[in-house]
Amino acid sequence: MVRGAVQKRLSFSSGAALTLLALSLTAHAQTGRSQSSTPDISGVWLVEKFEPRLFPNGGAPFTPWAEAKFKGSDLKTNDPNLACLPLGLPRFMISVPYPMEIFQVPTRVIMIQEGPQTMRQIHMNRQHPKDLDPAYSGDSIGKWEGDTLVVDTIGFNDKTWLDGGGLPHSEALHLVERIRRMDHDTLADDFTIEDPMAYTKPITARETYKLKPDWEIHEYVCEENNKYTYQGSDAGK
Amino acid sequence: MRIRLVFCVIAPVIAALLLSLSGPALAHHGFVSWFDMGRLVTVKGTVTSFDWTNPHAYIYLDVKNEKGATEKWTAELGAIAMLTRAGWRKDILKPGDEITASGNPAKDGKPNMHLDKVVLANGQELASAL
Repeated sequence: MVRGAVQKRLSFSSGAALTLLALSLTAHAQTGRSQSSTPDISGVWLVEKFEPRLFPNGGAPFTPWAEAKFKGSDLKTNDPNLACLPLGLPRFMISVPYPMEIFQVPTRVIMIQEGPQTMRQIHMNRQHPKDLDPAYSGDSIGKWEGDTLVVDTIGFNDKTWLDGGGLPHSEALHLVERIRRMDHDTLADDFTIEDPMAYTKPITARETYKLKPDWEIHEYVCEENNKYTYQGSDAGK
Repeated sequence: MRIRLVFCVIAPVIAALLLSLSGPALAHHGFVSWFDMGRLVTVKGTVTSFDWTNPHAYIYLDVKNEKGATEKWTAELGAIAMLTRAGWRKDILKPGDEITASGNPAKDGKPNMHLDKVVLANGQELASAL
């Protein structure tokens, strides 16, 4: 009978339509996620509480080598930041009272900062190359563990300070960061510093950032009118 | 134009207010090394130059001291993007403007300060930024 056949077709069509609708609504409900479900940490972020020193009250677990170097750290003469040199890590993440913007593309997480060091990048699609040429920010690779971006960085040169207080490090520096969006407006970077040449045990700390949705990253040309003089890494020693 | 130098011993709470946005008194390159963060100085003078630059903006002003001699003062401000967010503009000060500038004086006794705020001739107050 014709009516029966039509009714069956309508039922099938309705069911299929409802299923498709349900599936699309489920996909839409996953806010902040792309089609590949990568967590979203993009946006303009500013450190929540600016404290550029990892040990403002002292107590860093120095080796004798690092303690001697630290005694020679002088904010007025041999802080590489005086020459507008790149800050390196983790100083880029903790010692800058200016905003940074995080961009995510499939192969890279890129952070641009309104500060003396403009950019750091995290490679999402490869391991560390062999025979890394030591660099101010090392070589960062990242992977997602759930909603946490785990970043591993090696390959540092020893031309930077760990923080804004003069903590030294060697080329053996190994930095692990766990970066997670705690809520819509808060980002956290839990980091662990290992450098057996400089510190007798790992150093751990957390930096938190607040979202600045109305801010844009401006130019910051540190060399434009820098009146401070970097007298070299050995100045004053 | 008379200079009024006001030296105050500032309690830690005022230092905290000074940097209420940012915490303790140690900026990106530690200006605490050059300036006495526990003291505040206020001068009244005439702007001779306003350098809208990074890493710091600078106000240069001629200040007449009590003997009638002109002292050349320099006030160091923060980065211009942060100043912009705090209400500053590159043309907000012009040579010839009469302003009052308050800030932390240089440790070496020279007429330099780390700016806290200015008061313009029309009474407008502008706080510095890191």
